[in-house]
Amino acid sequence: MDWWRSLRTQETTHSRFIGMLSLTVLTLVITFFLPPVADSQLAGGAAIAIVVLGLSWLTGWSGQISLGNSGFMAVGAYAAGIWAHHHTSTPLVFTLILALVVGGISGLIIAIPSTRLRGPYLAGMTLAFSAAVTPLAQNFSSVTGGEGGLFFNSLVTPKWFLHLFSGPYAAINANAQWSADLAVVVAGVMFFFMANLFHSRTGRAMRLVRDNDVAAELMGVNLARARTSAFVVSAAFAGIGGALYSLLQASVRPETFPIGLSITLLTLMVLGGIGTLSGAVIGGIIYSFSTNLVAHVNSLTGVNPTSNVGANMQGMIFSVLLIVTMLFAPRGIVSLKTPLRRLFRARPLAPAAKEVH
Amino acid sequence: MFKGRLRRTMTLLSVSALALGMVSTGLLTGSANAANSTPGVTANSITIGATVPLSGLAATYAPVSAAANAVFTWVNKHGGVNGRKIKFIRLDDCYNLAAYGLGCTAGASVTTLSQTQVLVAQDHVFATVGSLGTAAQDSVLSYLKTNGVPQLFVNSGSIDWNQPSKYPSLFGYQPSYVAEGKIFAKYIKANDVGQTIGFIGQNDDFGTNGLLGLQDGGLNLLPANTLTYNAADGITGSSADLIADIGTLQKNGVQVVVLDAVPGFTNGFLTIAKAFGYSPKWIISSVGSAPDLVNNASEASAITTDYFPEITTTSDPWVPWVRKVLRADTADASYFPGLTATSPLTGNEFYGAGWAVAFVEALKAEGKNVTRAGIVKSMLSTTFATPSITPLKYSKTNHQGMQGGAIAIIAYNGGKVPFKALELSHTVFTTGGTKSSPITVTSHFIINPIPSWLK
Repeated sequence: MDWWRSLRTQETTHSRFIGMLSLTVLTLVITFFLPPVADSQLAGGAAIAIVVLGLSWLTGWSGQISLGNSGFMAVGAYAAGIWAHHHTSTPLVFTLILALVVGGISGLIIAIPSTRLRGPYLAGMTLAFSAAVTPLAQNFSSVTGGEGGLFFNSLVTPKWFLHLFSGPYAAINANAQWSADLAVVVAGVMFFFMANLFHSRTGRAMRLVRDNDVAAELMGVNLARARTSAFVVSAAFAGIGGALYSLLQASVRPETFPIGLSITLLTLMVLGGIGTLSGAVIGGIIYSFSTNLVAHVNSLTGVNPTSNVGANMQGMIFSVLLIVTMLFAPRGIVSLKTPLRRLFRARPLAPAAKEVH
Repeated sequence: MFKGRLRRTMTLLSVSALALGMVSTGLLTGSANAANSTPGVTANSITIGATVPLSGLAATYAPVSAAANAVFTWVNKHGGVNGRKIKFIRLDDCYNLAAYGLGCTAGASVTTLSQTQVLVAQDHVFATVGSLGTAAQDSVLSYLKTNGVPQLFVNSGSIDWNQPSKYPSLFGYQPSYVAEGKIFAKYIKANDVGQTIGFIGQNDDFGTNGLLGLQDGGLNLLPANTLTYNAADGITGSSADLIADIGTLQKNGVQVVVLDAVPGFTNGFLTIAKAFGYSPKWIISSVGSAPDLVNNASEASAITTDYFPEITTTSDPWVPWVRKVLRADTADASYFPGLTATSPLTGNEFYGAGWAVAFVEALKAEGKNVTRAGIVKSMLSTTFATPSITPLKYSKTNHQGMQGGAIAIIAYNGGKVPFKALELSHTVFTTGGTKSSPITVTSHFIINPIPSWLK
C-alpha cells in the first residue's frame, strides 16, 4: 500500500485547494454572463479538458503515448450509460464515480500488455484498442443499444437554481447554465486531484521514469508499476470525462467515439501544453469554441461550406494553429504565460539590464 | 533576446486573435429577441428551425429541407400564414456524425444536440420542424421535451416518434418502417407463395423496426436468413458484413430478399450479389430504394413502396406545383441542380415539400393566436392536403404520420433517370400505429386538390 500512500502529497495542499476553488468559482461566475449556447459549449469543453488532462499526465509525466483515450472515454461513457439505463434514479455523482472506476479498470487491463511496449508500438497497441471499442459497442446491442445507443434523461435544473433566472427563456437559460456549472465543478474536482498528483512523490517519480528509466530504477522506482499506474489514472480521467460528455449529450453512442477523437485529444494536448493543468484548460476551450471559429473563417473568407475547401476548414485551422504553436511556442500555448508575466511585471523594474543584440 | 520576445509576442497575438475570433462569434450573438408569451412568434413572423445534414455522409438529404424552405419562401411571398412570415433556420448537424469528419463542414464538436441547443436557446425557435435522422432526433427527444419545444414532422420512419403519452408534442411524418414491413409481408404472402424469404437490415431502428413489421405481418423468417449489417462500416469502408450476408443468403437458397438499407448500402449489396452471380427477387425499403441515388441497373424490377406521385405522372397537380415552387426559390437553386420546367422531380424534393405544406396547413388552421399547445392541437385536428398519395393523419393515439404506401416497381428505362413506377393496380395499403392494426387496402391512391391559397 505504499503506492497509495505515495499518492498523498508531501507538501501542503491548502494553497492548491484555494487556487483551484477560486478558479472554479470564477468560471462559475463567468457562466452567468455567457449566453446559453456558449454555456453548453463550455460544458462540453470542460468534459474534454478532463480527458486531455488525463492524457497530459500520461504523456507529459510518464512519457508514454496513447491513441486509445477515445476508447477509454467510450468505456466510461458506456459504464455510466448502461447503469443509468437500468437505474434511472441513481444520483449523478455515483454514476460519474462508476465511470471513473470502470475507466480505470479498463486502463489497467490495457496497461498490463502495453507497458512492455514503447513509442510507436505502444501507440499502435492503444490505437487498436480504441478501434475495437466502436464495433464492440455496435455488436453487443442487447447491452449497448447498438448503433442507436443509450439515452440519458437530460439534466434537470433544480428549483433553487431556476429561481435565479427570469424572463420568457428562464428555463432554457437555466438549463444550459446548470449543465455548464455542473461540468465546471466536476472538472474543478478532477483538476484538483491531478494538481496534487503532479506534486506528489508519484508525480516526481513519474518524471524520472519519463526522463531516464535507468536512473529511476536505480532510485528504487518500479518501472512497470509506475507506467501501469500512469495508464490507470489516465484512463480513469478519460472515463469520467467521457461519461460527463455523454451526460451532456444526453446519449451514448458508438459514433461519439471515433478513432479520430484520440488524434483530436492529442492535438488539443499539444496545442495547450503537454503536462500542465492550464494546457488542458486551453485544450478544452479550443475544443468547445472551435465550431464558432470554423463558421467565422468560412464567413470571412466566403468559402462555400459544401465545397472541398469548406469541408476541410476545421482540419486546416487546427493544423495552422498547430504549426504556428510548434514554431513559436513548442511547449504549447501555455508557455506564453512567461513572456506575458515579464510584460506586466519586469518592465518598470529592469531598465538597467542592457540587452545585447 | 529581442528575437525571442518578438517571436513570443507574435504567437501570443495570433493565438489571441484566433481565440477572440472564436469567442466573439459565440458570444456576441446573444439573445436580443423581444419578450413574448410564445417563443419565436411575433406579430408578423414565426421562427422555426431544423437540424439537418447539409454536409458530410448524409448530405444527399440536403434537398429535403431546401425543398421545404422553397415552400416557406413561396408562402411568405404570398402573404405568409395569418399575416406572419415563416423564418426557417436550417442548421447542419452532419447526421450527428461530425466527430468523424467525413466532409462535415460544421466542425468536429457539432452534434445534433448542440445544434438543437442553438435553435432553442439562441434563436428561440417556436418548434423544430422537419429535423432529420433516427439516431440524431432520438438524441434530442429529452432536451426538447424538457424545454417544451414541439418536435414536428421528424424525417425518419422509426416508431420512436409515435409515443403520444410520453412525448405529446412529438410528431413523425413518413410511414413507419413497421408499417412498410407489414405491407411487404402482405405483398409477399400474395405474390411469392412457397418461396424462401430472407432479410437484411441495418443494425439500428431502421432494420429492427422493418423486421418487426414483417413478423407482425405474419411472415415466418428463419433466424439463419435474418441478417444485419453495421452502417458504421460505411465510415471505415469495410464491406465484410455485406459480403458475409450475401454469401449466407446465396448458400441458403433464399429466393426473395427484403432489404432495409440506406441507398449507398443498397448499391453495395446489389453489386456484391451481382459479383457472386446471385439474383434473388429484391424487395427494398422506400428509404433505400431511391433509384436516382442507388443508380445500379441490378435494381431494375425490384419491389419497393412509395408514398408520392410517380415523377413522370401528368395527372397529379402537385407535380407541376412543387416544380414551380422550387424553381421560384432561386436562393436554394444549388440544391436542385438541373431542375427545369419539365424535368422530373426527385423523391427528396417531394418529401420536403410535403411536410412543409403540412406544417403551413396546421399553422393556418391554428388561427391568429399561435401557441405551442395550440399547434399540437392543430396537428391532431387538421385534415392535411399534401402531395402524398397516402393519407397523412394524426390522432391522440397515433403520432406516426403517413399510414402506408403503394407498392412500386423500380424502372430503369434505358439511359433515362430511373424511377419508381407505381403498380398498375394503384393499390394503397394503410395501417394503424399498433402491432395488431390490420392493413386496409384501398383501390386507388389519393390525389389531394391543392388548396386555393397555396396556388
